[in-house]
Amino acid sequence: MGSEHGGEKKIEVEYARLRLPFGPVHPALKEPVSLRVTVRGEEVTDVDIFLGHVHRGIESLAEGRNLIQTLYLIERICGICSHSHTTCFTQALEDIGDVRPSERALYLRTLIFEMERIHSHLLFLGIMAYEIGFDTLFMFTWYVREKILDLFEKVTGNRIHHAMNTIGGVRWDLTQQMIREISVSISDVEKSVKHICNYFRDKTAEDRMSGIGGLDHNQALKLCVVGPTARGSGVNIDVRRDHPYAAYNDLKEDFSVITGRGGDVYARTEVRILETFESIKLIRAILDRLPEGPIRPDENAFRIMRRIPEGESISLVEAPRGELLYFVKTDGKGGLRRLKVRTPTFSNLVGLKSMLVGCEIADIPAIVASIDPCLSCTNRITVVDQKSNEVRDIEMNYLRRMVRRS
Amino acid sequence: MNELTAFVVSFPASLLISLLFDGIDRKLHARMQKRIGPPIIQPIYDLIKLFSKERIIPITASTRIFEIMPIISASTSLLAASIVLSNIIVEVSVVGDLILVIYLLAVASIALMIGGSASGNPYSAIGFSRKISMIIAYEIPMFISVISIALGLSPTLTINGIVRFQSNMRAPSLLLRLSAAIAAAAFMICVPAAASVVPFDIPEAKTEIIYGLLVEYGGPYLALAKIAKASSNFTLTLLAATIFLYTPSFLGVNASQISLLLCLATSLAVMFITITLPRTIFARLKVGQAFRFYWMLPLILSTISAILSVVGF
Amino acid sequence: MFRVVSKSRTKSPWIFHLNAGSCNGCDIEIAAAFTPRYDFERFGCMLVGSPRQADVLLVTGPVTRQMLPRLVRVYEQIPEPKAVVAVGTCASSGSPFLGSQMIEGPADRVIPVDVYVVGCPPRPEAIAKGVITAVMKKFR
Repeated sequence: MGSEHGGEKKIEVEYARLRLPFGPVHPALKEPVSLRVTVRGEEVTDVDIFLGHVHRGIESLAEGRNLIQTLYLIERICGICSHSHTTCFTQALEDIGDVRPSERALYLRTLIFEMERIHSHLLFLGIMAYEIGFDTLFMFTWYVREKILDLFEKVTGNRIHHAMNTIGGVRWDLTQQMIREISVSISDVEKSVKHICNYFRDKTAEDRMSGIGGLDHNQALKLCVVGPTARGSGVNIDVRRDHPYAAYNDLKEDFSVITGRGGDVYARTEVRILETFESIKLIRAILDRLPEGPIRPDENAFRIMRRIPEGESISLVEAPRGELLYFVKTDGKGGLRRLKVRTPTFSNLVGLKSMLVGCEIADIPAIVASIDPCLSCTNRITVVDQKSNEVRDIEMNYLRRMVRRS
Repeated sequence: MNELTAFVVSFPASLLISLLFDGIDRKLHARMQKRIGPPIIQPIYDLIKLFSKERIIPITASTRIFEIMPIISASTSLLAASIVLSNIIVEVSVVGDLILVIYLLAVASIALMIGGSASGNPYSAIGFSRKISMIIAYEIPMFISVISIALGLSPTLTINGIVRFQSNMRAPSLLLRLSAAIAAAAFMICVPAAASVVPFDIPEAKTEIIYGLLVEYGGPYLALAKIAKASSNFTLTLLAATIFLYTPSFLGVNASQISLLLCLATSLAVMFITITLPRTIFARLKVGQAFRFYWMLPLILSTISAILSVVGF
Repeated sequence: MFRVVSKSRTKSPWIFHLNAGSCNGCDIEIAAAFTPRYDFERFGCMLVGSPRQADVLLVTGPVTRQMLPRLVRVYEQIPEPKAVVAVGTCASSGSPFLGSQMIEGPADRVIPVDVYVVGCPPRPEAIAKGVITAVMKKFR
């Protein structure tokens, strides 16, 4: 494509190696990222990752807007994990302003959170199937996902971008009928996911997915990957259990953290399928134990917003792709002084290079899809700041190069 | 009708029928995925639309080769289809036309390969190397299985001879000899690779190398490439239906229109089993895996059938 | 004769989707339009991977600075006759990202747009209607 112009799409052949531009426009990638892959025959020898195509300057836009407007903007960082972003943001604000949402609000937030996790994992499974050429499974998985989107529409009014959160609570409530419908749909989804699990164990699918894109335990720790990408390599981290937020403190008994072994694409896919089952268990527990009460404070949201004092806070949630971190610094007048978002895909992309080197061209889409990249989340600017309890080594050169490009 | 008219009529007839077969394949594929799918004459709309688009040739392409190869590819595969089709309608036979058909199909794929790689795109280069690996993998078992049929039943290299042999025996060659049954199995396993469908559509993988060889082809060239693909698929399934599974043989020698319809119906069934079904239920394999697969099972099967047919089974 | 050609053009629009910096919401809805519930393929649409084979370009997202040259290049690679559909509120008007220095403006500041489908994200049925309107407008 584009070979009539020179520049970045030239063929450079040196010592029988071919430099292949993969993206930013490519049918395997729903979002633009540039991978310059150097291949020898069918084997990948080197990868350069260039980000920045989706860089929209959200953090600088947020500094000029008030908190409610920023909430609206934050939701549109990513279409797949939008609720995670708003939850993280409102949690940080509630921490600064010492506003405590009611029990029912926290449970409802968690409900939508888990439903979003199921929807995101089903989306990932569909994309994964599409990358390995398994068209039928892609159709089937997304057909099942429509059921979840219907539930979203019933509860919040939109399939994507739910606008569920507000400072101090949530905006939509559940009626008894909705609760019944959710339980019925969730059981259907569980049956379908069991089928999907069997299809992914098919011989041709397994041949394509196992043994490639390997990231062993030590490397995963060293590169600080998060979420299912890390859990697939055996690293046992999960923000829901380690730093519980929303209603996860009460629900600690109802779910378990899934880790895999092997660290290859198959392990990561399996981790996500099993996590879907855990989310279904959590949703059932939430619906059983949903407390009564108001869902939002009686005051007008704008008054609450103006009352939030100057301060700063860091908030962590477990988005479907991993640990999401927000640093919020308010200015006391209903506006923001600084907003910093560190998304899970940013950490996971660092692991992509070691996963890709040594594999074949045919494996590139599968490996890229297996870290479940959400590049619209990823394109933030400047320095990476990790808040963690352990001391970890990050490949600084790699990060510096990525940072300079953004 | 006399032989010349039959041959001339079978050109547009095979174009039409191969497009219809392609449409039926897409419709069945969609239905199996719980969708409605396009109407059956969709490939005809696609073709007319493609012929009316603007012609763009990339600057890095070698223009002559780029333009001529799709024409060669389309015409040779249409020729192959019409040879097989006219052999069923009437006794048009050229000495050695079984080998001619296989040769024409090979020329069609190679012509498209050369044309695609003449575009100067790195993805085409990868598609070229993959396609060569696939051709080496599947052509040999296919060729051996076809030859073993030709050697086995009343040694003849004309399709017409094989068809008449089956009509005289009142049974398709599958049921007549063991070597034919094994050869049929080997041939049918080779069809998905020759037709470039999942799990063996490696040279054309959409998500990996953006259609590989066809990435720079648009407009009329793409239309010719699609004609080539549809008619070579049709030729393969029709060939399988005539030399292995000639169902009108149950009716004896005479019935002519019904035998044509029966033959087309059988080739539709063969297409379903070898093209539509694998496309729907399998994932794509990698080049190394496909290569290894073809050099094991189909090659062994076709060699066994060749030995058996020479020995007399 | 010409009627046959234009009928075929409306019956088989091939779609190329370009993400010019969107949040993925619209892209997911475009992909969802090909799944069994909405099934774009019954209109003859096919999602093609190469712009050389496409008739309709679906643009999503406010056009970021880095994607601007790619968008122009892809637009030029699509053979005539072609139609452009701007999907989503971002591509139609640029909001809510207007004012940022990284945005080159909504899609119609860069390439000529035929149909705007608004919504954040628009439903797959709305996207289908947008594509059909563009096809009818440009190819009939």
